[in-house]
Amino acid sequence: MEFEAVIGLEIHIELNCATKLFCDCPNNPGDEPNVNTCPVCLWFPGASPRLSRAALEKAALLCLGLNAEIQPVSAFDQKVYYYPDLPKGYQLSQAHLPLSRGGWIDITDEDGRAKRLRVHHIHMEEDVAKLVHEMEGRKPVSLVDFNRAGAPLVEIVTQPDFRSPHHAMEFLKALRSQVRNVGSSECSMENGTMRVDANISIRPKGTSQMNTKVEVKNMNSVRHVGDAIAYEISRQSAAVQAGEKIVLHTRLWDPEKKVTTPMRAKFEGPCVPDPCVPVIKLSGAEIEALRARLPEMPAVRAERFVKQYGLSAEEASYLSTDAEVAVYFENLIKEGVAARTAMHWLTTQLIPAVKDKRQELTQTSVTPARFAALLKMLACDEINANAAREVLTHLFDSEESPEVIVRAKGFKQVSDRGEIDSLIDKVLGEQPAAIDDFKNGQGKALGFLIGQVMQASGGKANPKIIREVLAKKLGSA
Amino acid sequence: MDSVFFYCNTGKAASSKGALQKMKIALQPNISVTGWPTEAGSKALAGFHALENAAVVEKIAGEGAEITGYTRMSEFGFGLKDSMAGAALKKNAADAELVLDLAGEARLSAARAGVCGFKPSYGLVSRFGLAGLIPSMEAYGILSAQIKNIRDILQAIAGPDERDSSLPDEKTPELKPAKIDPAKTTLGVIKDILKEMPAKEYESFEGKLNEFKKDGFTITELTFPDFPQFVAVHKIVGSVEASSCAGRYDSVRYGKREPGAKNWNEMYLTSRGAAFGTLLKSYLIQGAYFQFESYSAYENACRLRAHLVSQMKKLTGQADFLILPVVNKAAAQNPATLAETYAQFIYTAFANVTGQPALYLPDKKGEGLQLTAARLADARLLDMGEHLIGGGEK
Repeated sequence: MEFEAVIGLEIHIELNCATKLFCDCPNNPGDEPNVNTCPVCLWFPGASPRLSRAALEKAALLCLGLNAEIQPVSAFDQKVYYYPDLPKGYQLSQAHLPLSRGGWIDITDEDGRAKRLRVHHIHMEEDVAKLVHEMEGRKPVSLVDFNRAGAPLVEIVTQPDFRSPHHAMEFLKALRSQVRNVGSSECSMENGTMRVDANISIRPKGTSQMNTKVEVKNMNSVRHVGDAIAYEISRQSAAVQAGEKIVLHTRLWDPEKKVTTPMRAKFEGPCVPDPCVPVIKLSGAEIEALRARLPEMPAVRAERFVKQYGLSAEEASYLSTDAEVAVYFENLIKEGVAARTAMHWLTTQLIPAVKDKRQELTQTSVTPARFAALLKMLACDEINANAAREVLTHLFDSEESPEVIVRAKGFKQVSDRGEIDSLIDKVLGEQPAAIDDFKNGQGKALGFLIGQVMQASGGKANPKIIREVLAKKLGSA
Repeated sequence: MDSVFFYCNTGKAASSKGALQKMKIALQPNISVTGWPTEAGSKALAGFHALENAAVVEKIAGEGAEITGYTRMSEFGFGLKDSMAGAALKKNAADAELVLDLAGEARLSAARAGVCGFKPSYGLVSRFGLAGLIPSMEAYGILSAQIKNIRDILQAIAGPDERDSSLPDEKTPELKPAKIDPAKTTLGVIKDILKEMPAKEYESFEGKLNEFKKDGFTITELTFPDFPQFVAVHKIVGSVEASSCAGRYDSVRYGKREPGAKNWNEMYLTSRGAAFGTLLKSYLIQGAYFQFESYSAYENACRLRAHLVSQMKKLTGQADFLILPVVNKAAAQNPATLAETYAQFIYTAFANVTGQPALYLPDKKGEGLQLTAARLADARLLDMGEHLIGGGEK
């Protein structure tokens, strides 16, 4: 029997707010254990939660960025369960009245077709504390670090629209890019600021039934999410074919063994309306004011890049995904660099070099102005591509302008025909075999000879002129 | 330490200036005073010392009141068992007391002590620093022999506080005294309550109504057949909130942890098992039952609460004040069970469910009355109290 997977994701995203959700403690979970705590996030007697406006705004921007509808009324509930990482016996979350409903992300599916993956709702909630299990001599102890307790989270719950690991991975990549774009979170699965649980069930292909699902946790990269889903689909398919019943439970992804293992029965505690945190009411005007703060979303930007700069869809999408890349690209254009040159040099040279040096595009000393100056020298044949690459490495280490570096290092391109002419004659004299090869129809030989001339010029000769002159000489020889 | 006080203030006297200058006020130990053993009458908080002052403490101290100490209280203020509320007034050890009113405790304590007992409107006073139990219903009750003291304290503690975000975003009403004109004042009585009263008590209640009539007040009879549902709603919603509220007492961060547990599930069971007394434990378990096993009953109770609130709003629109009994003489004197505890509150729990103010006024025969009015009509209620007992002197 052929099976089809029905997959939905639950994605927790830690908002990059300065403070926690209900108190003024710094939202820095990585600090020394328990330094970022107060009577509210430790839930001392008499403590009273105060909802952070910044968190509400960041959460709302995130919702709007995913095309979701902010609800005029939303409220916090208590999700009741007892665990040492939960300081008050319940987690404040929005179970009944979430911040937003609906929303979607468009992805490209395996066959290159556009597919819309829908969001069911997005709600705010507080994070719990972190448990550390250690040995005190021979006695096992559990230590609790409350730095993370009360950190602001949003949970994005999707519709079960996903059918494959590819869908999930593309969704997560686009989600990450869009959330980073609105500035609400870094969404790093590696650092735990984005955590993904996948709910997976299978059914005979072509049917529409919804079968018992299994929840898979503990994936810490987008690739792991894809691998875990793929594994779970084949595991469930095999189980069903062997006549086993799928039971509702939670499984853990083991990234080393590349399998999922059962963890526990899925626990659903009660959710009681919280009497302490006020109901959140957002007027239409307030929602529109937030919407006005939204930056251009990647998909919209990509479309504009295609129209405005004549880029291919793929190129435009690459440049639009990260806001920093897009801004850098458009700054180059503002400096007068041609769109294609800017696209090519940014993606093949600057971004890899910045990554290599562990810098950020927004922080690097190779500012758009300096990089543009370099590319303009290339465009008007003052230097050649080889030299431009060389100069780029110097731009990272020096404060000098590209013009100064070119002059100081003697990178200026040799376009003097007479000079090139004599270099070519010298090379042709040294390489009779290559000339014969060329005449016998081996096209490669021309490239070899151009390379030899370039070398003889110390990399400074204008390759266009070399080619032109060389072709003429070989043709007439 | 004595039979009334759990902790006595040995520190220096407060600043001598302010509206509450020289007034001695006793608190319950669920109201945080920095460094004081704020144990809320529970072993769950044994040895806990408050880290900061409650909002009300800041305010009364700021107005020059002298905080005499913490009186003995029932566990987290629920019910009257083990509570010494009102006793400090009887012994002249305080001029006023702040006492938690969850279902009517402050008003019943006032009746026991023969003083005035006032529960302000919900949302008028910041609960910041109160180790409470039922967040949507609890209020600081103010006990004193004199209405003037009650008003002075209310004026000091009422008003916005950004640390308590459950306070509604509304203007604090005027709390200054004003005269009551009986000729222009209608008093409402709820027929459905009177019908159920024992003959002897009804007689005494009727006697009072006749006095009001002589005084020139208009008496109007109102119907409220659902009145008994207030206690039912309180029982369910209150226990659910209490169960959540007490969830923090898990012995992980503070409080006493019972030794010997093999894992943290056992730690919860043994520590929480040892921390709470029988009455509170049964209340918390009842709340957990509604949370985990009968959530729809809780939802129904919430809907019923909304219905009762709107019904009550209609009634308070038909009369300036409602007059009700306060003590259910049929209830057990020393209640030990949930049922017995709630039986004490059949005439008082309504004000905690709706959030409206309520005032107990004593009389010389020990048969006082309860007055109530619309939410935020606190000042008028105190005006009426002053009119009826003349400033509150016994």
